[in-house]
Amino acid sequence: MSMRGLTVFIADLRNCRARELEEKRVNKELANIRSKFKDPNLSGRQKKKYVCKLLYMYILGWDVDFGHMEAVNLLSSNKYSEKQIGYLAVTLMLTETNELLRLVVNSMRKDLDDPNEVHQCLALQAIANIGAREMAEALSNDVLRLLTTSHTRSFTKKKAALCLLRLYRRHPDLIPVKEWVGKLLGLMEESDMAAALASTSLILAIAQQYPDESAGCVQRAISRMHKIVIEKEYSPDYVYYKVPVPWLQVKLLRLLQYYPPPDDKTARNKLINVIQTILNNAQDIPKNVQHNNAQNAVLFEAINLAIHLDPESEIVVQASALLGRFISSKETNIRYLGLETMAHLAGFAESLDTVKKHQETIIQSLKDKDISVRRRALDLLYSMCDVTNARAIVSELLHYLTIADYAIREEMVLKIAILTEKFATDYSWYVDVILQLITIAGDSVSDEVWYRVVQIVTNNEDLQEYAVRTVLNALKSPTCHETTLKVGGYILGEFGHLIANSAGGTPMEQFMALHSKFGMCTGATRALLLSTYLKFTNVFPEIKDQVIRVFKQYRFVLDVELQQRACEYLAIATMPSDDLLQAACEEMPPFPERESALLNRLHKKIQDTEDKRTWQIGGKDANKEAMKKADRRRSAVERSQENIAATTSSQQPARSEMDELLGLATEPISQPSPEHNYNKLILEANGVLYEDQYIQIGIKSEYHNNLGRMAIFFGNKSTSTITNLNTNLQSGEGVKTTLIQPIASTVPPATQYNQMYNVECHDVVGHEVIMLVNYSIGSHPIELNIKMPIVPSKFVSAVELSSTDFFGRWKQIGGAPRESQYIGKLRSTDVSRMRDLIKGLNFSLLDGVDPNPNNLVGAGIFSSTNMGKVGCLMRLELNLDQQMYRFTLRTTNESVTEVLGLQFKEAVEGQ
Amino acid sequence: MLKAVMIFNNHGKPRLMQWYQQMDVSTQQEMLKEIFRLVHKRPDHVCNFLEGSTLLGGQDTKIIYRHYATLYFVFVVDSSESELGILDLIQVFVEALDRIFTNVCELDLIFRPDEVSQLLSEVISGGMVLETNINDIVTMSGVRKIQSAR
Repeated sequence: MSMRGLTVFIADLRNCRARELEEKRVNKELANIRSKFKDPNLSGRQKKKYVCKLLYMYILGWDVDFGHMEAVNLLSSNKYSEKQIGYLAVTLMLTETNELLRLVVNSMRKDLDDPNEVHQCLALQAIANIGAREMAEALSNDVLRLLTTSHTRSFTKKKAALCLLRLYRRHPDLIPVKEWVGKLLGLMEESDMAAALASTSLILAIAQQYPDESAGCVQRAISRMHKIVIEKEYSPDYVYYKVPVPWLQVKLLRLLQYYPPPDDKTARNKLINVIQTILNNAQDIPKNVQHNNAQNAVLFEAINLAIHLDPESEIVVQASALLGRFISSKETNIRYLGLETMAHLAGFAESLDTVKKHQETIIQSLKDKDISVRRRALDLLYSMCDVTNARAIVSELLHYLTIADYAIREEMVLKIAILTEKFATDYSWYVDVILQLITIAGDSVSDEVWYRVVQIVTNNEDLQEYAVRTVLNALKSPTCHETTLKVGGYILGEFGHLIANSAGGTPMEQFMALHSKFGMCTGATRALLLSTYLKFTNVFPEIKDQVIRVFKQYRFVLDVELQQRACEYLAIATMPSDDLLQAACEEMPPFPERESALLNRLHKKIQDTEDKRTWQIGGKDANKEAMKKADRRRSAVERSQENIAATTSSQQPARSEMDELLGLATEPISQPSPEHNYNKLILEANGVLYEDQYIQIGIKSEYHNNLGRMAIFFGNKSTSTITNLNTNLQSGEGVKTTLIQPIASTVPPATQYNQMYNVECHDVVGHEVIMLVNYSIGSHPIELNIKMPIVPSKFVSAVELSSTDFFGRWKQIGGAPRESQYIGKLRSTDVSRMRDLIKGLNFSLLDGVDPNPNNLVGAGIFSSTNMGKVGCLMRLELNLDQQMYRFTLRTTNESVTEVLGLQFKEAVEGQ
Repeated sequence: MLKAVMIFNNHGKPRLMQWYQQMDVSTQQEMLKEIFRLVHKRPDHVCNFLEGSTLLGGQDTKIIYRHYATLYFVFVVDSSESELGILDLIQVFVEALDRIFTNVCELDLIFRPDEVSQLLSEVISGGMVLETNINDIVTMSGVRKIQSAR
């Protein structure tokens, strides 16, 4: 299948020495291809060649925005090579939102039904790689069929399994794996290794969400491992450098880590036997690098499983001896993984003694030449820290911080701060370490760190005097970081009076220590210092004059924030009575105890259908916490799904639980100037209804007479998962809405899910229809009330009438109460917009009916279940010179006249 | 799961890019540059795992790579994959390439990009390991060659 043209083109591009030349060549080729594609008789072979060229340019990073249609055409070719290039192009170039996707879905369905298995495979792979929503909707049943039919060959089966996995990951709301999992479990026993591997991957994903439904996989995983490791029952093709199917072994071992240790004794012994054998095999180190790799891949996963089963067992003791050897291995990969696995062990073992034995080596690893290893060492030190070794570890970390790369400094600072807070036995140590941190790596100290210091000092009276003294000393050093200044400003302001009578701590010295740095810091810090000065005037009347001089000077500064503070503080400080000053500078109350913001910053949230970590970096507490969270999350998710399925009437999702879980303040965050496109969607069927920084809500709707169907799309724009999504579309007056397709309660970042409603108009549409949307992002619950564009005109359909018919009926209907008329001012004199408006309200636009061309005339039929069809005629007279309009509506029903007339008036005046 | 597979040469020129996440062209190029920057400055004999690229999703994303002569083979994965397993997978992929091209070199990848993609799709599908048996992988692409000759 050589394509000479393509080869020549590639060679040409390779000869381009500069990017400009390449661009020139690419543009020439694009122009050429464009003109070729205009030829309707282009052969499949030619098309394939040009699509190939486009693909090549695309891979090089040039934006190719045409040729998609030709690629899609290739899909229906009978020639394998053309079809294959078509699929390749579609996979690489089409985005999920492309309109051509529907065509692609149709071709895919044909290929899935094709008796030729090679075609089935192409389609399966493309579906897996694109994973678009339309595909999940239309094709998941076909994929399941291929997967579970007994005569499907294993090379198709493995692809079907991974395809289904991908669709489930992307669109968990569309794939009812809970019902399917019973059928799927058997696939783990496939004799073909690759099919078993693919199926195990699928089960692994499902088991994390539905552990009870998938529980059968535990037994199967154990017996499969037993077969491979003990009975040596595997196909010789799958032996990779003397290790049988390492990938399948790793997957099975990992799957078992998502379940509690098996209760059944025989199963348990079988499993322990397997792990023991793997450990024994690892005693001699193979010479061949690849063999060594593969063997260790299995070994590390086996150790992880052993730790999961029982961190105190004999096997784990053996394993930790091995790990001790690994972390001083010559091979970097092994050191890396040794440290990582040891961190896992430190996270679960009751006693850290086995790990602590290696403390020296681990600290040495902080100086490893490879940053990846250094990171792992840092994680491990963080995990193995307790009261006994905290000082040693923290001082090593501080020492290392001075030379650490910028890439990991911030993380180190955070971890040091957390360890110090957690394991501090005396306060002076805590304060010393934090100040040292700021001095060494001030720029990497995030705001959370110094907020936390302030909180702790405020809440611990015993600490305050020491803190003030130390901070003051630090401030007196000629080079002090701005963060020190912030901490110092706050602490001196609050507690400076504690040392005012001692040498070196007089009010004047405190003031000078701060003010000498005032000129060099940023606006935010200056603002903070001004507040400190105000506090000084309250407790230190002797330096009031100096302070007032500063305030006076800053009354004229250009920065608004500073100016305002200076003016206000000056006013307070110069009041005849001190009452207000005293009230304003009242000592800060202790902060309410809450989970450290530092920990929150460190722990990232986990997406729902992605594979979860089986353990967390950090000690026992972190892991216990993580497990609790996982349990609660699972139950919360299930509960809210049940809720949605059971009823659409208002319900509170498991919100309180979520709040507790994330341990943060719970005020709903204010919505930052959301976009609400209600008016636009009154005139259009599809579009974005609401948008803010987190969520985008869009609508696609279709109406026929009195019935409509509306899909509401919820897109997550943020970088965290939207949880507890719960919507409630209340039926309005005269309108009934029925949920026909519920939505998942979680939306991963950059993902869009939808729900579907049937809408029925059974009477005159009255008040507005409101949708309540509740969701949480991070720990913040958000509630939205969204006005839905379900208005009377949605149930109108246009009718064409001749001039005589129109005026005949117009007269027949007659005046009030079946006529409504509005006169008002026009905001826009653009007639074409008015024409669009009338069409948007689903009236026909009858040209040539009214003798005056500036008058717009239209007709429509409003339908509702109870009233049947109601004829509606409208006339809009525009006086463009005076910017006035007169609108008249006549319908055969008084109530319809009223609501529809009002809607028109609002729409016309809204233009 | 795997998030991306890429092959680029010592100068950062891409020879193959396959993403298992939706992304536009400019982000892809940015990531390619970032990964190249991270990987390129690492001497041989340090470990084959790397993390910390913020563009790629931070801590839970790992870059696992192998450097062969003029080419870097980079697999980007999440925390659920075994590092060594993926390292083995790269080896499998390279050995398979070696079989179909007999002594694969950069030029083969340059002039036969479609066949390379095809081969990869026999190894990985939708971000998951599909097949690890080199014979099978090669046979499958052999099947395809017969088919295309028709």
